[in-house]
Amino acid sequence: MPLSESLIKIRTMGILSRISAVIILGFFLFLIPDNGRAQDIDILLKGGHVIDPKNKIDGQMDVAISNGKIFKVAQNIPACNAKKVVDATGMYVTPGLIDLHTHVFVGSSSAFADGFSSLSPDDITFKAGITTVVDAGTSGWRNFPLFKKQVIDRSQTRVLAFLNIAGSGMTGFPSEEDLNDMDSRMTSLVIQQYPDIIVGVKIGHYRGSEWIPFDRALEAGNIANVPLLVECHLPLYPLDEILKRLRPGDIYTHTYCTAVDRTCVLDDQGRLRPSVIEAQKKGVRFDVGHGGAMFHFSVAAPCLKQGLVPDSFGSDLHRSSMNSAMKNMLETMSKFLNLGMTLQDVVFRATWNSANSIKRSDLGHLSEGADADIAILSIRKGTFGFTDTKGNRLAGDRRLEAEMTIRAGKVVWDLNGMAATAWTNK
Amino acid sequence: MENNMMINKRKNSIISIHALLFLFLVFIASNQIVNAQTIDILLKGGHVIDPKNKTDSQMDVAISDGKILQVAPDISVKNARTVIDVTGMYVTPGLIDMHVHAFHGTDPDSYIADGWDALPPDGFTFRAGVTTVVDAGSSGWRNFRDFKKQSIDRSQTRVLAFLNIVGVGMVGRFEEQNVSDMNPVMAAYMINRLYPDILVGIKSAHYWGADFTQVDSAVKAGTLANVPVMVDLGEHHPPLSIEELFMKHLRPGDIWTHTYANAPKDREVPVDENGKVKPFIFEAQKRGIIFDVGHGGGAFHWAQAIPSIQQGFIADVISSDLHIGSMNSGMKDMTNLLSKFLNMGLSIEDVILRATWKPANVIKRTDLGNLSAGTVADVAVFSLRKGDFGFLDVRGKKMKGTQKLEAELTIRAGKIVWNLNGLGAPLWDAKNK
Repeated sequence: MPLSESLIKIRTMGILSRISAVIILGFFLFLIPDNGRAQDIDILLKGGHVIDPKNKIDGQMDVAISNGKIFKVAQNIPACNAKKVVDATGMYVTPGLIDLHTHVFVGSSSAFADGFSSLSPDDITFKAGITTVVDAGTSGWRNFPLFKKQVIDRSQTRVLAFLNIAGSGMTGFPSEEDLNDMDSRMTSLVIQQYPDIIVGVKIGHYRGSEWIPFDRALEAGNIANVPLLVECHLPLYPLDEILKRLRPGDIYTHTYCTAVDRTCVLDDQGRLRPSVIEAQKKGVRFDVGHGGAMFHFSVAAPCLKQGLVPDSFGSDLHRSSMNSAMKNMLETMSKFLNLGMTLQDVVFRATWNSANSIKRSDLGHLSEGADADIAILSIRKGTFGFTDTKGNRLAGDRRLEAEMTIRAGKVVWDLNGMAATAWTNK
Repeated sequence: MENNMMINKRKNSIISIHALLFLFLVFIASNQIVNAQTIDILLKGGHVIDPKNKTDSQMDVAISDGKILQVAPDISVKNARTVIDVTGMYVTPGLIDMHVHAFHGTDPDSYIADGWDALPPDGFTFRAGVTTVVDAGSSGWRNFRDFKKQSIDRSQTRVLAFLNIVGVGMVGRFEEQNVSDMNPVMAAYMINRLYPDILVGIKSAHYWGADFTQVDSAVKAGTLANVPVMVDLGEHHPPLSIEELFMKHLRPGDIWTHTYANAPKDREVPVDENGKVKPFIFEAQKRGIIFDVGHGGGAFHWAQAIPSIQQGFIADVISSDLHIGSMNSGMKDMTNLLSKFLNMGLSIEDVILRATWKPANVIKRTDLGNLSAGTVADVAVFSLRKGDFGFLDVRGKKMKGTQKLEAELTIRAGKIVWNLNGLGAPLWDAKNK
């Protein structure tokens, strides 16, 4: 009987029958959905400290996962009907981490695009709590379909992408210099063709001084209404001018380094340049983009003090950064933790804030109904060292470790077998 | 007086000869100081485990020019370019992972040969103390050259390989049945005539036929090329007799992999249903059959491993079977895998032996897996964490443990290729302190 019909019937009954009917109905209303709910829980994460910046949650909560989605985040969700209960006491439960800057168009050539310099994302992500990576323009409009077929569709990690303004992406020098292959219209068309995967445009490598590539990248971004990621191996573009041209929401990466092919965000006296402060005010976003050569404590520490905090911790994952000082994005997060940021702030920037940088508000949080992409992190205490790409060390006492990673409701990493039952002889 | 003068002169000349000798000795000594200056990296104060050289104590390790210069107590630091304090850590030969699949590629119609299920090794090796991997038959003689060009030559990890007896290697289970593509002569030629430095053996795997045709073909190639054969017997219904395999078909020095897999309906297992290791297993090991772990995504069960180890049947070689299905599962990497054996009761010396000097001998590469002076400087430094840890088998069952290895530093041919905590690195803000 539909609820409205029942209510109408109740109205027509005598007072005693009415009362008893309401009690009975109420009893059923209480019973049915609750029973249904409890049985639906596939995984229940109990007792962890949830940090979900979007929903302003920062405390002990249980997280229920059902059907690949977040079912509920609340205190003391009963365990009795959950198929699997994981005790996360003493650990931090956060949205799956988002690595905003990677190179994952792995293949057999020697370049980045379709090449050996890129990496398969699953090799690195889950063991570091990462569930989403954003490829930083390794492909362009010509070879994005190959990238999709070859890597994106085959990866368990969610792979999103910035599309390079160079038509074939990162094929190396000199093919990336070809102005004729920088087509804003084709780039924007392919972006619009894959709105679920492509989140922006990238300009990365150009050795000339004219602004045609930059302007075309911006134009593609304007047509498709997506942000521009500037990975500035653009030696003849002055920093002030780059930042002036960027729109609110555009992203500047490799923020914390002194490299020969760009101007540092700090001046000779170690102060943030006025153009950087202006850009930050305007809404330009700053990504770490650690990489194998692009992160220096001597820049990062003064920047943090002066308020240039990274909006995202993009790792710039590729073959020659993975075993260097970088290692993975979680390690980069540990560096910022030991440089003085709070865990809550670090998690915010690695999840919800990164999702906002790529305008993907469906990601980076634990709202009910969201895809169940979750990281369970522990903080190891001890004596640790963290290095930058100059080989200098930061002494630290805390290191983040990914205990468990869940992608779309499935446990894809379980460091210590938290979700497992014990082996017995039987 | 004259005589006295003569004597004095003689004395003087003796003194000057002494002086010359002294100067000569100083010269030699200073030469040695020059020699001492050629130490590129000096690992100080670690506990060295080098099974080949029976070293198991606190020693310093000096590396020069990509080679091991010296392993000795208290090597002087004053002329070493980089000194790294590894007190409290274990220093071992770089690990050898004798069973991986590294022929990564993008052929959509293949699973392991030039396929997505194989992995470029460098993302898994150095962070786990591994400096050498041996590919277990991903390629055969028809496509080994692609493997070499595409993966081996581009990897920093030393990649060696077993050549599949099937010419096209591991393209698909179907192709692996093609008896007419099993050519012992071509396989042996490729090993002996073309790539003796890379190819260390023959692989036989995944055969469906209810006989030992593929194994016998592999052994024929192994005999022609004088290399061992590694066998993954595949699945058969009813299962083939592994006693017959060990005693009649394989030679001493040949390798049985996936030792602790537990699917007795598909493949005979060492531990019977009463939890007892079958007696012929010990006989086979005595005969010289080599048992390899080959953990993988489906071939390591506590139900086989724990009783085996309790009853003294220990796999000769501990290897990962690294591929896409094992990397994020119970296997993870070699430090995790070695830690399982530590927590099952093996000593750290024994565990290191089975991942260094033992596999080096099995693949007849005694130039590897040791720290003898003059050897290429492939070195691993581990710390042993104490705490509450859990380890998974391929069924997702957990064994608890109290210790876990962590790779602190990995050196490949004298170059630091992994440094977890920046050992030996200067503090970035040292000037300000």
